Amino acid sequence: MNTNINLLLHTNEESLRRLKRVKKLNFIAVMFLVGVGCLSLLTFLSTQIINPSGIKREQNGVIEKISQFQDRQAKLFVLNNRINNIEKILEKRIDLPKALNALLAKTPGRLFIEDLEVDDKTVIMTAKSTSLLAIGELINNLTDMVRKKEIIRSLTLSTLVFDEAKNFYQVSIKADL
Amino acid sequence: MTSKINADIKSLKFIFDRNKPYILPAIIILISIILFLQFVIPQFKILLTARSEAKQASLKLQTLKENLNVITNIDEKSLDAQLRILNLALPLSKDFSGILNSIYLASQKTGVNLGSFSLQIGDLSDPKKKDDFPTITLAVPINANAAAVSSFVETISKTVPLSEVILIKIRDINSTIKLSFYYKPLGFTSYKEDAHINPLTQKGLSLINKLSGFENVSPFQKAPAASSSGF
Repeated sequence: MNTNINLLLHTNEESLRRLKRVKKLNFIAVMFLVGVGCLSLLTFLSTQIINPSGIKREQNGVIEKISQFQDRQAKLFVLNNRINNIEKILEKRIDLPKALNALLAKTPGRLFIEDLEVDDKTVIMTAKSTSLLAIGELINNLTDMVRKKEIIRSLTLSTLVFDEAKNFYQVSIKADL
Repeated sequence: MTSKINADIKSLKFIFDRNKPYILPAIIILISIILFLQFVIPQFKILLTARSEAKQASLKLQTLKENLNVITNIDEKSLDAQLRILNLALPLSKDFSGILNSIYLASQKTGVNLGSFSLQIGDLSDPKKKDDFPTITLAVPINANAAAVSSFVETISKTVPLSEVILIKIRDINSTIKLSFYYKPLGFTSYKEDAHINPLTQKGLSLINKLSGFENVSPFQKAPAASSSGF
């Protein structure tokens, strides 16, 4: 007869293992419950802490104060609007007076301007002089301006005629601005 | 061939008794999971929304406080004077008296004789134009030579209301210049209470000072010095 067979011992070992398993499961269950509870409480408290109603109350107070200065607010708005628009105008407007001044400055005194037309794109000039040198000086000056890219971009000599009866030279030029 | 499972009450009871200790923790775990899904996650979403709302509200409050600070620190008298100059330079509507005044002043200052001129009034009932800057255009005949015309256009370009010389025609002493005077209605604006109110910048102040040096700005309408703007 074999006396090594002990069924009771096996039963105890298994029940111990089961007990451990149950304990572990109980612990996990409690941890789950506590975890969910804690998370829920933490989220709720955080929501209460960062509730924006306090900020909104403060906002309403500031808005009320601002409404007392509505007039100033409107004036400042118009002021900034005017400044922005005036800046745009000053940037975009073509400075024809400057172009005219520059052209007149380059016109020799001995030359008489018969016709001068300046718009935003071109300059058309007809001038006369008894001296061909004055006409040459004008063309040289304008050519210099084109070379230096000063106001005019290109220059075309349209006509150059000599009126024998009146004894003067007449020149017509066209320049692109 | 069909096989039947015979589970009698005794067997079931045995299984139940055997697994009884596992039932309670399993139920607790299940309830915890349900609670997490049903309450914690929605609460977390609420928390995120509240956080974002609070952030926005805080930014809005900051802007409002800055606006209040800007508004309360403005010197209203200097603001009025600056606004008058700017409105003279760029009127909100067609300012015919301002235009006539500026032409008259420029002719007086440069000593040129003006011929009769007419204004292109346009449609008074419709201030909205497709152009960014609506203008009033007029051709001014000038009985003067090239030098005087040059002086006149130079002066008019530094006179308010702001204008642009779009054409210069010089023929002996019968010249003509074409001018476009700017005006700009305010137009529709979408007002927002939390929109940032910009204080007058140094650039803006320089512009006002520059404009106050233009012709047609009456002495009582000169802008106060830049430093006295109160900002």
